[in-house]
Amino acid sequence: MQLIGVDTQRAYDRIREMIISLVLEPGALVDEHALADQLNFGVTPIREALKLLAHDNLIEVSKHQGIYVSRISTEDLKLLSEVRVLLEGATARMAAQRAKEDDILVMEALIDEQKGIPEEDKRAWFEIDHKLHQAIAAAAHNRYLGESLEYYFGLSQRLWYLVLPKLKYLSRSVEEHADLVKSIKERNPDKAGEIMVSHVRSFYQKVHEIIEAEQG
Amino acid sequence: MNNSTQSRNLVLGIDTGGTYTDAVLLDYDTHQVLDRHKSLTTKRDFAIGIGNVIDRIHIDDPKEIKMVSVSTTLATNAIAESKGKRVGLFLIGYDPELISSFKMSQQFSTPNYYYFDGGHDLYGAEKKPLDLKSILEKVKQIKHQVDALAVSSYFSPLNPEHENRAYQAISSVCDLPIVLGHQLSTKLGSVERATTAALNASLLSVLREFIIAVRRVMERRKIAAPLMVVRGDGTLMSDEFAVRTPVETIHSGPAASAIGGHFLSGIDNALILDVGGTTTDLALLIDGKVTISEKGAMVSEYKTAVKAADLLSIGLGGDSHIRTNREGDLLIGPERVVPLAYLSAQYPKVKHQLHNLTKISWQKSSPEWLEYWYLIREPESMELADSDRKRKLVEILRVSPRAIPEISKELGIIHVSQIGAEELFRQEIIGKAGFTPTDLMHIQEQYSVWDVEAARYALDAFSHYLLKEPAEVQRLVWELINEIILEAVVSFVTEISLSEELSAPGIGAWFFKNAIYQRHPHLGAALKLAYPVIGLGGPAKMFLDASTRTLHTDLVLPEHYQVANAVGATAGSIMVSEEVLIYPKLSESGLDVIGYFVQSSYDRLEYQELATALEFARRLSHEYVYSAAIRSGAANPEVIINEKMDGIDTYRIFAQAYGKPRLS
Repeated sequence: MQLIGVDTQRAYDRIREMIISLVLEPGALVDEHALADQLNFGVTPIREALKLLAHDNLIEVSKHQGIYVSRISTEDLKLLSEVRVLLEGATARMAAQRAKEDDILVMEALIDEQKGIPEEDKRAWFEIDHKLHQAIAAAAHNRYLGESLEYYFGLSQRLWYLVLPKLKYLSRSVEEHADLVKSIKERNPDKAGEIMVSHVRSFYQKVHEIIEAEQG
Repeated sequence: MNNSTQSRNLVLGIDTGGTYTDAVLLDYDTHQVLDRHKSLTTKRDFAIGIGNVIDRIHIDDPKEIKMVSVSTTLATNAIAESKGKRVGLFLIGYDPELISSFKMSQQFSTPNYYYFDGGHDLYGAEKKPLDLKSILEKVKQIKHQVDALAVSSYFSPLNPEHENRAYQAISSVCDLPIVLGHQLSTKLGSVERATTAALNASLLSVLREFIIAVRRVMERRKIAAPLMVVRGDGTLMSDEFAVRTPVETIHSGPAASAIGGHFLSGIDNALILDVGGTTTDLALLIDGKVTISEKGAMVSEYKTAVKAADLLSIGLGGDSHIRTNREGDLLIGPERVVPLAYLSAQYPKVKHQLHNLTKISWQKSSPEWLEYWYLIREPESMELADSDRKRKLVEILRVSPRAIPEISKELGIIHVSQIGAEELFRQEIIGKAGFTPTDLMHIQEQYSVWDVEAARYALDAFSHYLLKEPAEVQRLVWELINEIILEAVVSFVTEISLSEELSAPGIGAWFFKNAIYQRHPHLGAALKLAYPVIGLGGPAKMFLDASTRTLHTDLVLPEHYQVANAVGATAGSIMVSEEVLIYPKLSESGLDVIGYFVQSSYDRLEYQELATALEFARRLSHEYVYSAAIRSGAANPEVIINEKMDGIDTYRIFAQAYGKPRLS
């Protein structure tokens, strides 16, 4: 256990959760003292936690505006989408070439579980989705690729919460996932890559539409 | 350098026992105890007691504290009271029929165990392919009903491949903590390994919460030092290791006491008797080391593969309840109560009642008048909502403590057992007080921090009921205590349980009784213990004086013997161990040896020649334990490597790195 305060770690987890689940909205001002009261921590661990979150690009500190939750800009979204489409596509191709039997059993178990989750339980659904993307990354058997994907996935988590309540996106997504795993199992890299690219791309398309609609 | 007080190496030792939490502030280099404090253990949340005790230790400059070390009965208690978390145990390649025919399934320590195909044989070859599909199916089914998972595969110490694959797959589909059998034990006993893995899994969050709580108190007192946890064999591990292997803290309290006894007395060979509030623990010190049980520690009814001090714990301590049975025989323990001297000091009304008790007629007296219930803390409403009697009980106890007959009368019931108050006791909402050896020690002016007069009234009332003189009752109680201690000493040292011998009127009982009482007119018997006894814990002097005389040996009470446990928590060495197995790889036919496997806890490699395999294994285990000890905070670790043959062509290389904590 690091000498980093246990309270800092706990405060970090709690605030990160609040940002990702949009309890703290993009662009919202952050009041250290209010957070300290609300979460029942000292101000020091809160301050330390915010520093770590700034490092994660979830908090921005500006001299003029103070501390606030990072905004989601359409420009940023485009950049993020470009990288993820590229990386996730390549990952799916590699997974189709390299996946072992155990990897495929894991993917199938996840698909199976996702099918059983009711549409309303978005939190559970989202967790399985994350695990499935992780499982595909693991099946590509390149840990650098896995680590990079995890970073970009972290940045995209907030977008999920933005999109989920607004769209009936889930059932189609489950079908896409199933097709994707099937093509990996059939050792068809082209098809796997193709499905993944369109899957990620359409996700960002929806997010883009929603943000445009809100800002326009 | 310019100021000698600035370069002191101070360490803070904490022991959380069944009754008391002790802390000492110690100068590590001079062995000087600078401050010490005792506080009641808070079982519902150990952190409260630890916070209380650290807050009362005087600290000049927190920067001088270079290490904090804790020993704790947390793991042992959690198992004994079934308060560990719910665990799903996955058994790979185990034979269900074999397990059930030997009734070994009760050993697993969890009711949720499942069998799957897979496992390896004695040569590390796959016995059956791993049924990962069924494992994943089961995980999906149970993952919301358990808090942690344990996986143990047949012969996994020789080849952990199936455990590792199961880990990979399970951790990809759920976030529960997962414990693997081969990481905890290299012994081949498959049931013990599974039990150890399941117990470890059940303790993960318990110990984690505990460590976090201690760290919080440290932060509040601005102590920025490494935190160590005592293992069951008395060695130390960093908190980082402890949160992964909580099962290794089983019996760490008694082990710490024994090491503290050695540290404070400087005696290398002795029998250590640690008399606490609830229990008395026995351990043997030989050549300066606590003897370790080779069999693996027992905890409750479970046999584990955990290395721990060889010790015996009996339910007798300063706060053991003294009472009688229906026949009027004197009984003591194993239940622990709050001494009446203490309760009276808090509530003068109790003292007054005890005084009146000495004056009532014999017909009306009953030992139940000496048992009080009292309120420890206000319950949260939910804890009580299930019964009117419990609510009423809390209401009357809120006013003042009540003796048992009063409670029955006020609640209009025949006996207090009708209340069903067990949970209120367990949650430490209400407590029980009674007549104890601690009260006798007050009367005899051996220990008088609380109300001496009240203790005397209690003894008078108890004697009144027994129709005996108080002096006679005192003598009988100490005689009984002496007998219980001697029985434990003889059983522990000889490894022969005396209780059966003593229940029958044979020669064994004759020798034992005559060694104590010298009753026979013509033939005497005597016991002679080869070592001195080191007495530890507050009541040690009173409890052990007579027994050491009977054992014809010296009773040594080192300075600060009352807090030897907390001293011992700091006195152990940091230790890291690793075992590597070398075993033959067989040809397809199984007839020829075509190479050797070297299996460590994280890797399996293949060699053609035995000599190269052994050489590599020695180097690997040396490097591993040395660097892990440095990482854990040891200074100049010393590595000891033991090799032994274990079956045909199979070798075990056991490496241990020991080092004193690096304090700067």
